[in-house]
Amino acid sequence: MKLFLKFDVKQLCDNILSNQFSNLNINFRILAYGEIEILDKLSKTQWIDVKNTLEDYGITVVEDQKSILIQKIKDAIIEMVNDEEETITVKSSVYLAEKLNHSYGYLSNLFSEITYTSIENYIILQKIEHAKHLITTSSMTLTEIAFKLNYSSVAHLSTQFKNTTGITPSAFQRIIVKRREITL
Amino acid sequence: MQNNLINIVLADDDEDDRLFFTEAFEELKIKSNVSTYNNGVLLMEYLNKTDSILPELLFLDLNMPKKSGIECLVDIKKNARLKDMVIAIYSTSASEEDIEKTFVLGANIYIKKPNDFKKLKKALSEVVTTNWQYQTDSLNKDNFLLRL
Amino acid sequence: MGITSTYNNHFLKIAFGLGLFVILCIGGFSYKHTQDLKDSMEMVKHTYEVNLELKNLLANLKNTETSEHGFIIINDSSFIDSYNSGRIKIAENLKRINVLTKDNPEQQRNLDSLNKAIGKRLFYLSETLQSYKLGQIRSPKFISSFKLGNLKMNSIREQVQTMITYEDKILEIRQVQNKKALERTPIILYSILILTLLLLLVAYAIINRDLKVLKENNEQLNIFKESANLSEIVSKHGSWTCNIDQDVYEFSDNFYRILGEEPQSFESNIENFMKFVHKDDVQKLTTQVENMLIEKNLPFIYYRVVRKNGEIRHLKAFGELYVNNEGENNLIGTTADITDEVNNFRLIEERNEELERNNKELSAFNYVASHDLQEPLRKIQTFISRLDEKEYEKLSDSGKLYMSRIKKAASRMRLLIDDLLQFSRTNKSDNITELTDINELIEAAKQENIEAIISKKAIIYNDEMPNMMVIPFQIKQLFINLIGNALKYSKDDIPPVINITYAKVHSLEDKNLPNLTHGYYHQICVIDNGIGFEQEFAEKIFTLFSRLHSRDEYSGTGIGLSICKKIMENHKGNITAEGKLNEGSIFKIYIPS
Repeated sequence: MKLFLKFDVKQLCDNILSNQFSNLNINFRILAYGEIEILDKLSKTQWIDVKNTLEDYGITVVEDQKSILIQKIKDAIIEMVNDEEETITVKSSVYLAEKLNHSYGYLSNLFSEITYTSIENYIILQKIEHAKHLITTSSMTLTEIAFKLNYSSVAHLSTQFKNTTGITPSAFQRIIVKRREITL
Repeated sequence: MQNNLINIVLADDDEDDRLFFTEAFEELKIKSNVSTYNNGVLLMEYLNKTDSILPELLFLDLNMPKKSGIECLVDIKKNARLKDMVIAIYSTSASEEDIEKTFVLGANIYIKKPNDFKKLKKALSEVVTTNWQYQTDSLNKDNFLLRL
Repeated sequence: MGITSTYNNHFLKIAFGLGLFVILCIGGFSYKHTQDLKDSMEMVKHTYEVNLELKNLLANLKNTETSEHGFIIINDSSFIDSYNSGRIKIAENLKRINVLTKDNPEQQRNLDSLNKAIGKRLFYLSETLQSYKLGQIRSPKFISSFKLGNLKMNSIREQVQTMITYEDKILEIRQVQNKKALERTPIILYSILILTLLLLLVAYAIINRDLKVLKENNEQLNIFKESANLSEIVSKHGSWTCNIDQDVYEFSDNFYRILGEEPQSFESNIENFMKFVHKDDVQKLTTQVENMLIEKNLPFIYYRVVRKNGEIRHLKAFGELYVNNEGENNLIGTTADITDEVNNFRLIEERNEELERNNKELSAFNYVASHDLQEPLRKIQTFISRLDEKEYEKLSDSGKLYMSRIKKAASRMRLLIDDLLQFSRTNKSDNITELTDINELIEAAKQENIEAIISKKAIIYNDEMPNMMVIPFQIKQLFINLIGNALKYSKDDIPPVINITYAKVHSLEDKNLPNLTHGYYHQICVIDNGIGFEQEFAEKIFTLFSRLHSRDEYSGTGIGLSICKKIMENHKGNITAEGKLNEGSIFKIYIPS
């Protein structure tokens, strides 16, 4: 008999972590996807225990500070792009540098080195993804979306959208609408 | 960027194009496992096998004998097991009609076959990178549309 | 005309009524005045009678007196007889006067005193006569009686005169009155007559004018009828009427001619007409004629007739109900001979089909040629790029040269095929126009040219465009080509500036729209500051494969502007070019609004 399984990796991971940490009697909390905070002070042996236990489930503790920082940069960018209340008024470089307590030059070089793409490109990607999300889920016009995502004009948004995806926002919208008509 | 091999499948009836495609991946030094099929029927036979390994990226030529790329696309999207594959259309023609039609039918990527090998490599690299971003950054795959 | 005629009718009625009234008035007046005249004559007669009677009375009195005196003098008895008859006559006179003046109290009073005076006089006469008979002549009594009698006679005379005078006076007064009335009568009668005459004249004039108009109308009607006949001949029409209630038909002359017969050469009825109808159409037409009689209406019908010489004619008929003044239902109809139209239509249809077939073949050929050529060419180019990358260093110098030439030739072929494919796609006729945001299309066209825009530091301004009914991807292609052209043919020393302006123009106002009768057009101008061209080439640049520059100077296939032209033809619009060498060019496109 064959079974096809579908599972939520995050939930799976969260459950494993909860079980194992309670076995080890260590308090912790989940901060983000792939990021946890250990609330107790760990001894050397405890630390080795944690690593070994998690290794059995294919979970490695990333000790590489660079990778952690990259993830933090990404998280900060996503937070910035999704900033609904428009609390972030400073430039993205300033914002990232302040939030992560590193110079922007350092962050930028590090990001390019590890991800083969620049912070700027990553921001664009996230913004365009956010624009896609708004185009498909909200009734906002392109002008409103451009304004919301801090573009100087619709043209600017359209250009960036086209450069990133190869299609225009309106073509994108048309395609998604038609797709929904087919699946409905 | 990624540790594991990525499985890539191409269905194209043209021998030269298959050659360009595999050579491009070899030169890109992406840890990939590229397999090719000569037409849509053979591709679907493989995919429909219950123990087949589903590729992370499936490239479809539109103009193929026996079973066209569009027909394959429609069949794949109807199949619950196959429908979540990322599908790239890989075609000579780039008429707006074809592009929009395949996107509407569920293709994620549309590549007009370039007439320069460097451009081909660049395009394929971009496809793999973008796909990787969608996989790792948990972006909404419904919104994954890329035209090259 | 209608208003005037009713106005005239009213006027005529009023004039007639007035005339009648005036004539009645004249009758009344005449009667009254004749009556007055008669009265006046009666009056005169009466006065004369009274006066005559009074004079007679006086004469008789005198006679009586004379007879008495005669008797006294001569003593003849005949005088006594005369005396006696005189007295009788006097009595009669008085009686008559009394009758005549009965209605006049004044005269009655006079008559009364006269009567008394005459009585006295007669008394004195009989006194003297008595005295004479007694022989007491010249007795005092006789003498006094005689004298008194004489005196009385004088007073009687006076009194009679008074009565006569009085009667004359009355007569005179009445005559003056009558005279006055009689004097006015002719004037009144005359003026009324004149008035009547005037009325009659006006009425006559109006009637005359109406008659004239009627006559003119009649004449026009005749002319119209005649011209209708002529126009029937020219336009190959026949007309007919059908009295539905009585089943009576009337055919116009040309109706007969349409059937190939002499005018009015057979009786106009449905049976005779049906003999000409094509046997395949008889059934259809019969039902329609029956329907026509029931529904009192004939929609457009088409049928064929066969002339006696065997010629088949195609006819089209249409009829409408007309109710005449008597309330009879008439169908008035027209039948047109549309044989020529039908034949022409068939010919055009055949030619159209042929043309369409040719066009389809041509565009299919074009599409297949360009589309299928793409594939081998793409491979050639890809293989070239492989060779170029991997084997270039192994080639000899001349090999390297050949390599670069092959690359160039392949690129050129790529350009040609791409443009040809674009052109053949533009040729497809199944594109549907839709209301489109032109600004978006311009934006998309800029995106397509973004590399050149950035590398040449070009600036593009465009007016806000309204939405238009266009085939979106074609208009986008148009802007891509026009902006691309402006960028390609720019000056080396200054960055290109492209202005895209909008205006709404009327086809009458713009000389670039001479043959188009569409009314308002959207005019979009693409203005650049590039190298321009000489105005004499303005037409030529739109023809397929035409180029103004050698390939060494500017790359190009000479297809781009032909595509633009084709696109504007597809939109039933227009595109024109204006150029000035070394100053720039203006491309104006017109899209029907």
